Amino acid sequence: MATSLRLYLTCIRNTLEAALCLQNFPCQEVERHNKPEVEMKTSQELLLNSILICRNEAEKCLIETSINSLRISLKVKQADELENILTKKFLRFLSMRAEAFQVLRRKPVQGYDISFLITNFHCEEMQKRKLIDFIVQFMEDIEKEISELKMSVNTRGRLVATEFLKQFI
Amino acid sequence: MDPTSRPAVVIDYGTGYTKMGFAGNVEPCFISPTVVAVNESFLNQSRTSSKANRLAQHSAGVMADLDFFIGEEALTKSRSTNTYSLSYPIKHGQVDNWDAMERYWQQCIFNYLRCDPEDHYFLLTESPLTAPESREYTGEIMFETFNVPGLYIAVNSVLALAAGYTTSKCEMTGVVVDVGDGATHVVPVADGYVIGSSIKSIPISGKDVTLFIQQLMRERGENVPPEDSFEVARKVKETHCYTCSDIVKEFNKHDKEPAKYIKHWRGIKPKTGAPYSCDIGYERFLGPEVFFNPEIYSSDFTTPLPAVIDKCIQSAPIDTRRALYKNIVLSGGSTMFKDFGRRLQRDLKKIVDTRVLTSEARLGGGIKSQPVEVKCSQSSYPEICSLVWRFSTSIYA
Amino acid sequence: MILLQSHSRFLLQTLLNRVQNLEKAVELDYHWVEFDDVRYHILVSMKNPNALLLSVSLPIPPPEAVFMGGLPFGAIEAIKAAYGVAVQILDPPRDGFNLTLKLNLGKLPPDEEHRYALLVKIASVREVVLGAPLRVVLKHLSSRTVIPGIDGLLAIVHRSKESFFLDPQPDKVTVVFPMRFKDSVDIAFATSFLQEFVEARRTAGLNNAPSCLWSPTPPLELKEAPAEALSANAGFVSFVILPRHVEGKKLDRTVWNLSTFHAYVSYHVKCSEGFMHTRMRRRVESMIQALDRAKPGVEGRKKSPNSRSFKRLSLKEV
Repeated sequence: MATSLRLYLTCIRNTLEAALCLQNFPCQEVERHNKPEVEMKTSQELLLNSILICRNEAEKCLIETSINSLRISLKVKQADELENILTKKFLRFLSMRAEAFQVLRRKPVQGYDISFLITNFHCEEMQKRKLIDFIVQFMEDIEKEISELKMSVNTRGRLVATEFLKQFI
Repeated sequence: MDPTSRPAVVIDYGTGYTKMGFAGNVEPCFISPTVVAVNESFLNQSRTSSKANRLAQHSAGVMADLDFFIGEEALTKSRSTNTYSLSYPIKHGQVDNWDAMERYWQQCIFNYLRCDPEDHYFLLTESPLTAPESREYTGEIMFETFNVPGLYIAVNSVLALAAGYTTSKCEMTGVVVDVGDGATHVVPVADGYVIGSSIKSIPISGKDVTLFIQQLMRERGENVPPEDSFEVARKVKETHCYTCSDIVKEFNKHDKEPAKYIKHWRGIKPKTGAPYSCDIGYERFLGPEVFFNPEIYSSDFTTPLPAVIDKCIQSAPIDTRRALYKNIVLSGGSTMFKDFGRRLQRDLKKIVDTRVLTSEARLGGGIKSQPVEVKCSQSSYPEICSLVWRFSTSIYA
Repeated sequence: MILLQSHSRFLLQTLLNRVQNLEKAVELDYHWVEFDDVRYHILVSMKNPNALLLSVSLPIPPPEAVFMGGLPFGAIEAIKAAYGVAVQILDPPRDGFNLTLKLNLGKLPPDEEHRYALLVKIASVREVVLGAPLRVVLKHLSSRTVIPGIDGLLAIVHRSKESFFLDPQPDKVTVVFPMRFKDSVDIAFATSFLQEFVEARRTAGLNNAPSCLWSPTPPLELKEAPAEALSANAGFVSFVILPRHVEGKKLDRTVWNLSTFHAYVSYHVKCSEGFMHTRMRRRVESMIQALDRAKPGVEGRKKSPNSRSFKRLSLKEV
């Protein structure tokens, strides 16, 4: 792993550890409702300052927090057209299965590739540390998967080409 | 360039067999077992192996991904070599292994039908109990991998009902009794809509008939090699089984004239290549009998099929019941036993008549109710296929 | 399956079926479509069960690729050469088709092997008809001559309203494919695949294969081609075919491979998308496992049942 990636991930991990202190907070407008305030953005005093962590131009992570919920949005590096398409394909595939991931947001926040929404209920149900582990591992996995996918497309292209050209010999 | 000018591709994937073809023809182009033989020797290695030879194996793994067979070819391959392992993508009418399913479709489209999926609309089928997620995954594969311009996923029982649809008879109300290889459903349909709450499923299907026949033959000590016995039982089921009207009478008939009723089976042992032969006796009619007297096969489920149909219709809205009794459509491979429909109709009529009589007796015999008409008919795949093109015009892009 | 086969599986199956049950008269009436918009229709009537009518419709040719009498040039000769007496060409063909062949099933060779070979050949009718012009050019290449009357670029239809180009010279033929795909994912995949063709050609084992070039802009050979043929969203591939690639039996294979090059690439693009799905499914599974590890309940269940010394209470349960 490149050192800059490790720094980037450590930074995100530390920020998340600090930011993930959520508490139950009933909705101020509708009785007996409980809504993630970071999504509703109804009242300014419930929101905290959002933090933008950038590794470089193309890779960044936006962490928005509020009293009872936290939103993490990621932008993944896309070096070329093929990576761009692979990323899109893979992240859409993940978003389709958002149900299974619980903390995954079905649609990314505008300008980002994929977003998570963590509420205080998630924190109660899961261990906070492990949850952060998951987010960080998720980011590593995406990176790894995209590069592996890219490699497999290239290997496959090579094999396909070889088989075709062999026909002429 | 417009896909509407080309016939739609129809793939009806069942637990046992997949039927594929083009809309507008009278028969599917191919009927092949729903099975995939995968060369798994490479697939699972890439994770465990060391970094050094990882690249070599990676490329081998990429190739192995294309090294697979479907249908009859898969069965012959797996018999002749050990490198391939069989996987059945559909279990009990539901897709179980999406990887295998996707490959199966890939071969259906590119190797069997040899069409360009971007040029055709597709019609797929699903069982009435398919979960929305599974439908979503199907759509995902079809649109993302194959780029199909349009897709319609139809409930196979509605199609079975629609197969009897002609210009003279516009009947879209009826009960579809769908006995497939992996699942049996009784599906009431009113005016083309499935009455979801009344669907009944039975844990007995075509595969159980095969297993029962296999068990009977094994118990009698027939000379069938064990590794081949399931296949033999399946062939016996498909070629020799029929439905009898009464078990006791049928036993007598067999005992009186064994020469006429007992058939022979000849085969070749797959390992040694030596020929063998065995007799087929009572299992000819006992096989299909599991639907009418399930207690001979399993102790967990003992409600006969006619009673289940009756229960199903009784749970449907009262104003549809008479029409439902009138139009019971059989579909699926395991309803093709000789006289299956007649037996079903007779047993069901008996149940209905008894109920009518008791209620009349209770009411004092003053009121005579109109007799309920019970009618079973067979629906077959070709009709479904030929009908499908009519649907395809309404397909969305 | 890595390479596409030249015969239509369904056509071969139908023919074999018919030949094996010749005494049983059945009616047949099938329509089907193959990749690149080749349509087939097969017709057998009860009256004359030995005669089988096979109609083929070809992709619509673009303006630069000319059909003569509804067929690519050289097709009639190619059919006659390939099938001999068992097949008769009906003129005019059935409505809506380019070619109708009448097969006399009674006149097939009696010996099993030859008959099978002929049926496979008939099932490969698209190769014979669509590949005819290419075959003529490559035949001349093997004798190192140029076809009289044709100089400069030759366009051959391979997909509906699309063609590829041949630049025949006495000692080599340059084949140029403008590659077009509909979907943006397909374009990206195909582009990287096509570049791999160039790379693969450089490896030691493939020194004798036709040399191969890919460029995003039209190559020099295409300077005479009409402007609309020069737009290709996945670039241009050119192969230089030398006489050694078309010697003897290799000719058939070369014709088939070149005339279905686009279909071959497109098939593999689709396959690799399927392969990616397989990988992604596996990845999703492992990620869900990682998330499950975050839930204390899952781990707790694995331990002995009385290890529940203290339990976190959530506000919901209070």
